Amino acid sequence: MEKNFIIAGFGGQGVLLAGEVLANAFMLANKNVTWYPSYGAEMRGGTVNCEIVMSDEEVSEVNKSDVDFLVALNQASFDKFLAKIKQGGWMIANSTLVKEIKTRTDINYIFAPITKLASDLGNGKMTNILALGILAKASKLVSIETLNQALDNVIPPHRKNLLPLNIKALKIGYEYDLLPMNA
Amino acid sequence: MVECLTNKKVLTKGNYAIANAAILAGCQCYFGYPITPQSEIGEFMSGKMQELKRAYVSAESELAAINMVIGAVSTGVKAMTSSSSCAVSLMQEGLSYATSDELPVVLVSVMRGGPGLGNIYPSQGDYFQATKGGGNGDYKLIVLAPATVQECVDLTYKAFYLAQKYRNPTVLLADGLLGQMMEPVEFYDYPYPEIDNSNWALSGAKGRDGRIIRSYAPLADNQCVFLEKLYKKYKTIEENETEWEEINTEDAEIILISFGSTSRNVKTAMKTLRQKGIKAGFLRPITLYPFPSKRIAELSKTAKKIFTIEVNMGQMINDVKLAVNGECPVDLINKGVGAPPSAKEIVTRIEELL
Repeated sequence: MEKNFIIAGFGGQGVLLAGEVLANAFMLANKNVTWYPSYGAEMRGGTVNCEIVMSDEEVSEVNKSDVDFLVALNQASFDKFLAKIKQGGWMIANSTLVKEIKTRTDINYIFAPITKLASDLGNGKMTNILALGILAKASKLVSIETLNQALDNVIPPHRKNLLPLNIKALKIGYEYDLLPMNA
Repeated sequence: MVECLTNKKVLTKGNYAIANAAILAGCQCYFGYPITPQSEIGEFMSGKMQELKRAYVSAESELAAINMVIGAVSTGVKAMTSSSSCAVSLMQEGLSYATSDELPVVLVSVMRGGPGLGNIYPSQGDYFQATKGGGNGDYKLIVLAPATVQECVDLTYKAFYLAQKYRNPTVLLADGLLGQMMEPVEFYDYPYPEIDNSNWALSGAKGRDGRIIRSYAPLADNQCVFLEKLYKKYKTIEENETEWEEINTEDAEIILISFGSTSRNVKTAMKTLRQKGIKAGFLRPITLYPFPSKRIAELSKTAKKIFTIEVNMGQMINDVKLAVNGECPVDLINKGVGAPPSAKEIVTRIEELL
């Protein structure tokens, strides 16, 4: 089995970090995995994304032409990547910043107020990690325990004080009620 | 960033993997000037080398950096620089000198778009630069081309070893995609024997006669003798160090040849073609010099067609054609710059060209 994920948003939302946590989780689950960032003349406020491919076999490709799971943290990312989602794939959108419009009928949608949920937790910067919690629940491809461990891998020693808050954000995302959001 | 770990799987970028492996290989000195998409190598070195009481110098230019490496390796220590495309152009003089000085220079070249300043996206446009060289005179650089982040580790070790073993500059030729992507890798202790350099290194002349390493033979005959000796060494390298990966070639009617990060998608394309009943095989040169010409020549006798797939305007195809020597047609599937063509695109192009 091979699945790929794109996490997209604007610079500063922690898109690349969220991708790194997800890729670490797949590594910890003994999957083959690649993480590839959009890199270029990016800047804070510009759009940024990364692709994670996980596979039970050798990863077949990097920079694939379509995607199984898309996490759009802002409107620009939603618009840019909607067409790239496979039939039956998932669009997980941050409805704090993305309009709830379902133009495609052949994919699953989750609109969750991710930034608002993170702000309610006390820190809007947790948007990226909270989104991972929702992704974990929707995809059923990675457990919350593995993601917690992955967070510990990724957060550097001098930022370990932020680990509990990140773990909490994951939990809130994971426990967010997805059912009414499904297509 | 990852620490210098051994025996533990970590998720890291190609650039960090290379830097970490260089440290584990015993690199004592790093000289460099930052350029995307390989700046993480210098960044990692700037912290780690100081911590380990080794030398890190942020050079004033690439020209300076390569000459600093020449100076350092002359004393018998392992040293390296890293750079990318337009800046590797500035190092060509130094590389030519290092071949004539027979010095174990290690250069990590992480390719980006060209010519000129080009852009910072992945590319394989420096195949010629690495294998044919832009410096003057008859010389060869040993060139290793990783395809995965794990190979960035394995071949960095190997680059240091081969440079020492043959006293010849060695290039690790990666690209922006490998440099920037993350994959799980395992580091391990440097697996090669240390090469004794006590008979040539400028290690201080206390108790022995002084030595000079120089690139100059004023008499025509002397230079002829030197070049014959140099090319005898290259023959040995070709006989002993040629390395490649080969899959499904036994019964292959078409062979797909590709190197570096592009070969990942090509391998998948080969598998797809097999599923469609087309007898496709895959060959990936791991050493670009020495090139697996002999093996490609053998395969061309039974293959109906050979394709090379490259992210440039067609460079390695020249070496493939030389090896094939007209035995079968050779076609190019390429893209000028950027992430490699998808497996699907490659399959479609091959079906059109068959």
